[in-house]
Amino acid sequence: MIDAVAMTNERNQLFRDLFSGKTPKRVPVSNPATQDFAIQYAGLDLAECQWDLTKLEPVYDKFCQDFFTDTYPGGSIRIPSHYQLLGSTPIVMSSSGFMQHPEVVGLLAEEYDEFIASPYDCIVEKVLPRLFTELNGAPGKVAMSLAKAMRAQSDDLAYLGTIRAKMNAKYGYAGMVGALTEAPFDFMADFLRSFKGISGDVRRYPDKVAAACDAVLPLLVKKGTLPNPSMLGYTFIPLHMAPYLRDKDFATLYWPTFKKLVETMAGMGQNVQLFVEQDWMRYLDYLYELPENTIMRFEYGDAKLVKEKLGKKHIISGFYPITLLQTGTKQQCIDKAKELMDILAPGGKYWFQADKSVINFEAKGPVAENMSAVLEYVHENGTY
Amino acid sequence: MDSKYYLTWEEYLAEHPELEDKPTQAIAPKIQKYEDAMFVFIMDLLL
Repeated sequence: MIDAVAMTNERNQLFRDLFSGKTPKRVPVSNPATQDFAIQYAGLDLAECQWDLTKLEPVYDKFCQDFFTDTYPGGSIRIPSHYQLLGSTPIVMSSSGFMQHPEVVGLLAEEYDEFIASPYDCIVEKVLPRLFTELNGAPGKVAMSLAKAMRAQSDDLAYLGTIRAKMNAKYGYAGMVGALTEAPFDFMADFLRSFKGISGDVRRYPDKVAAACDAVLPLLVKKGTLPNPSMLGYTFIPLHMAPYLRDKDFATLYWPTFKKLVETMAGMGQNVQLFVEQDWMRYLDYLYELPENTIMRFEYGDAKLVKEKLGKKHIISGFYPITLLQTGTKQQCIDKAKELMDILAPGGKYWFQADKSVINFEAKGPVAENMSAVLEYVHENGTY
Repeated sequence: MDSKYYLTWEEYLAEHPELEDKPTQAIAPKIQKYEDAMFVFIMDLLL
């Protein structure tokens, strides 16, 4: 019988130590697989389970039982019901049941000035009606659609929260809370101007891009603010566009408002976890400047260089290549975990997470067995 | 935040003077909670 309360206390202490810069008792571990993986692993239909959340409790129970982790695995912000009710074009469910983000343009180039003058009003009046078909039409229809969608999301998140609380109580996970926001430049790119659009804007209207990032910063600070900042909470910021920018554009358009965002969060006593997507090796000196103990989960790059340049000031995570779980033997997967632990764990400030999320499960593939072996290995061999 | 679509409690109260003699200490957090919930919902749609 697991003493779940004792395990939660122990795990909370691991993360309190980690986030405050102390060396924890052992390396904390997070399962990289998502709710999508868990549903397929349980042998259920991905689309059906995301619509009928009552099927998810046994899914999570099996997932939690079979894979070691210190933090609650899974969770989802891409629940299909409210996107459907809004006629979403930026987030849609594919035929295989995965929620996908096609390239969309929510803000036209000629609307920059309007956005800069009042970003939230422009989002409500221009961006949302363009991206969500049910928010474009007669006021009565828009009001009804918005009410239904918000109620649907609220119900779904509450239900997922109930499952999470049950799994935390049963398996003794750390009691982490999180908020989500984005770097201003990434926010302008992802749903507003698109990858292609912002890439052209950087050359055609750099001053407007910079002004838009400044204008939207307060909204993104507010979005990323936890109601009660605590040592076990963090704001998650996935980083997208920087690797695709020239150095001078990064320095003038991306970095200033991103740095302010992270500094503002840290100034409120809030931890920040960056998901440093793609390869940021040419920006390591910039990352060093961020507030002490910023959590940085890396996708690609040189783990040794990152440890050397950032590891004394910041908390390093990521790098474990999930593709190896598909292509490697169990021993090769464990050896890779050992290699990364040998580089990143000494001195503390290391959290075992993978380079990206595992979303797909093949019943006859090696991923589940390899992933389980790696998570167990890190758990059993990560003691300081 | 300067917006037609997001009001602080003080801005809301200014638009609804009928609330001034009501228990504003109980009303304010409730009104603000839903103002913030709508803000988070809207922003989540673009993240």
